[in-house]
Amino acid sequence: MSTNTIPCTINGKDVEVKEGSTIIEAMKANGVEIAHYCWHPGLSVAGVCRMCMVEIEGNPRLQIACNTQVVKGMKINNTSDKVKDAVKWTLDFHLINHPLDCPICDQAGECGLQDQYMHYGKYEPEMAEAKVKKHKVVDLGPRVVLDSERCILCSRCVRFTDEVSKTNELGIFNRGDRADISTFPGKPLDNNYSMNTVDICPVGALTSKDFRFRQRAWLLKEHQTVCTGCSTGCSTKVFFNKEGLFRVKPVYNEQVNGHWMCDIGRDVYKFVNKEARLFDAKVSGKGTGAGNGLGAEWILPKRAALKVGETLRANKGKGVALVLTGQHTVEEYDALLGFFKNDLGSDRVFHWVNTVGGGPESLEAFDGLLLRGDRNPNTAGLKESLQKFGIKTQWKELLEGLASGAITTVVVAGPENQTFFPDFKAKVVELSKAPRLIWLTAGKNLDLDNLTGDVTLIPLKSYLEKSGTFVNHAGLRQKIAKGLTIVPNALSLTEVAELFAGREIEAAESCSSIGVGRVQNEATTVRGSL
Amino acid sequence: MSLVQRPKPIANWFLPGILSGMGLTFSKLFWNLVTYVGGNRRIPTLNYPEEKYEYSPRFKGNHVLTVKKDGSLRCTACMLCATNCPADCITIVAAEHNDPTVEKYPISYQIDVLRCVFCGFCEEACPVDAIRMGPEWQTPGLNGASFNYDIMQLAYRPQLKGGIASVVDEKERHEAGI
Ligand code: SF4
Ligand code: SF4
Ligand code: SF4
Ligand code: SF4
Ligand code: FES
Repeated sequence: MSTNTIPCTINGKDVEVKEGSTIIEAMKANGVEIAHYCWHPGLSVAGVCRMCMVEIEGNPRLQIACNTQVVKGMKINNTSDKVKDAVKWTLDFHLINHPLDCPICDQAGECGLQDQYMHYGKYEPEMAEAKVKKHKVVDLGPRVVLDSERCILCSRCVRFTDEVSKTNELGIFNRGDRADISTFPGKPLDNNYSMNTVDICPVGALTSKDFRFRQRAWLLKEHQTVCTGCSTGCSTKVFFNKEGLFRVKPVYNEQVNGHWMCDIGRDVYKFVNKEARLFDAKVSGKGTGAGNGLGAEWILPKRAALKVGETLRANKGKGVALVLTGQHTVEEYDALLGFFKNDLGSDRVFHWVNTVGGGPESLEAFDGLLLRGDRNPNTAGLKESLQKFGIKTQWKELLEGLASGAITTVVVAGPENQTFFPDFKAKVVELSKAPRLIWLTAGKNLDLDNLTGDVTLIPLKSYLEKSGTFVNHAGLRQKIAKGLTIVPNALSLTEVAELFAGREIEAAESCSSIGVGRVQNEATTVRGSL
Repeated sequence: MSLVQRPKPIANWFLPGILSGMGLTFSKLFWNLVTYVGGNRRIPTLNYPEEKYEYSPRFKGNHVLTVKKDGSLRCTACMLCATNCPADCITIVAAEHNDPTVEKYPISYQIDVLRCVFCGFCEEACPVDAIRMGPEWQTPGLNGASFNYDIMQLAYRPQLKGGIASVVDEKERHEAGI
């Protein structure tokens, strides 16, 4: 596409737009609102919904904006009464057979039909015929449910499986008002990108099974972050309220993921939710109640970290090893490595490499769209930090050290997302051979709980509870910001490093907390005065 | 349109207002104590619980969840009532119904009635006439827990004699092609 711009007029305002762009692109680029269902910036143009009507000076009929190119000096208008009337009755056509499902429809609150009805509609329906009944609750695949009655046949989902995922599962079958989205017999919608169809469906026809009926859209708040599902690092937003996190959706990012994200990445919120988390530090073994037959002691994470730091420093770091995974931020690596290198003078830092698909070659795997074999958000950042501190170690040195007794204490900054570590159990067994084990972890784990001996578990913050930087596979540095609090007393590795070094940490800045007491009904109090 | 009446500067002179208010209160008290109408004092009190006051049928008392013809809950778990509730005292957990024509229903519906301000906004928000404010207002309880009403209490308490039928019937609407 050329980079030349041409002048045109949109709603009476003179603007310069890229040559060759369509009217709808020109409008979006200039922040003009326009109704549309079938057009999506990441898909080809279909021109089937007829909602994007605009008036072009010198042209007696209205045109669709999504399939008309801007030419020099074009005078475009989408605020005239003629356009408004056309959009209104197009909307009425779309709604002829539409069920009155909003109360049970997961799309309600973020639905294109509701939005445009409030904007252009507000009419009394004039259709005297009975509605055509179609299929409801159709199981399209393991993650997506279809309600045919709600579908407006915009064909976005069909184009997505044609053009983006290239899996061609979906099609439009039958004709006229009996037309139906469906799959082919024995070929369910089961690709790793299937939930994008739920996002792009402008109505509630395609909904996610995972999110189905769990919350209403308007009761959720958003926080933008980076996906920790793999080393691509897609821009995402998580949706949460005081009961927890409920879903993840992609955010447009030209450099990384475009408009999409994969289905695996949509599950990452599950390991952050409080059901999966460790809440307090657990100390067992010498010097605790354990020796007196009292079992383990649960204490404040901060106290546990200070205590561990004391003994680490008392031994001058003799026989201490650190194990890191690619799941934490650059700032955290630097802080912890700084403590080990400068305060303890230890070089024994080891990178726990996890492979989900077999051998080390699977780390380089790429599905051609987004998902990568390396399921850590920050492997590149970890390698960078290790290099910065001049650390070159092999995993087998750790094993040798453990066998020979040269390593007596192992500090593990364990993975946040244990599902991507198939060797988790094996590593717990391997590392618990150390006489003293300090395991920092965000999630709780039965294997860790069952460990006996001198073991300290310290809860860590998840990626939503701290700020930092992830470096993706291509070396792109992406900032994440703290958005919410789930485990109030959890620590980040930076804070752990400070506490290990015997320094106090300042109190955390406040932000929305999940599951902490009862707050005002935000749904009504933000509405303004009645 | 509702116009907001801002208090005038004179309202800052609150003492005269208070005094005139107290004057009214005490004059009523005095005259009610000393005047008799038909041999009775004019103080309008009742010997509760022997005598009971009849409230108007529009009285907004304890909530009722209405039921369909088959006796199952009318509520579709849309959570509009919970959204609209200024006291944030409605907690609903939605679930998938076995019958695909029902789809969504509340597996748990709780009103913390001690937080409720009986404003009736829930009733007004409901799109399917699933919640109403009933006429009952005498609701003793043994402890706090007995004021956290669940579905059994809200829809099927003995006083309701099997449940109150909703005016919105999905089957009829489907057959009429709506
Ligand atoms: S698709 Fe939109 S308009 Fe239709 S039932 Fe769902 S929320 Fe309502
Ligand atoms: S299911 Fe949704 S995205 Fe697909 S054609 Fe229907 S309305 Fe469009
Ligand atoms: S009456 Fe008002 S306060 Fe009580 S449950 Fe209904 S909406 Fe909430
Ligand atoms: S009572 Fe009415 S408003 Fe409340 S969830 Fe049920 S259907 Fe919705
Ligand atoms: S957006 Fe232009 S016709 Fe659908």
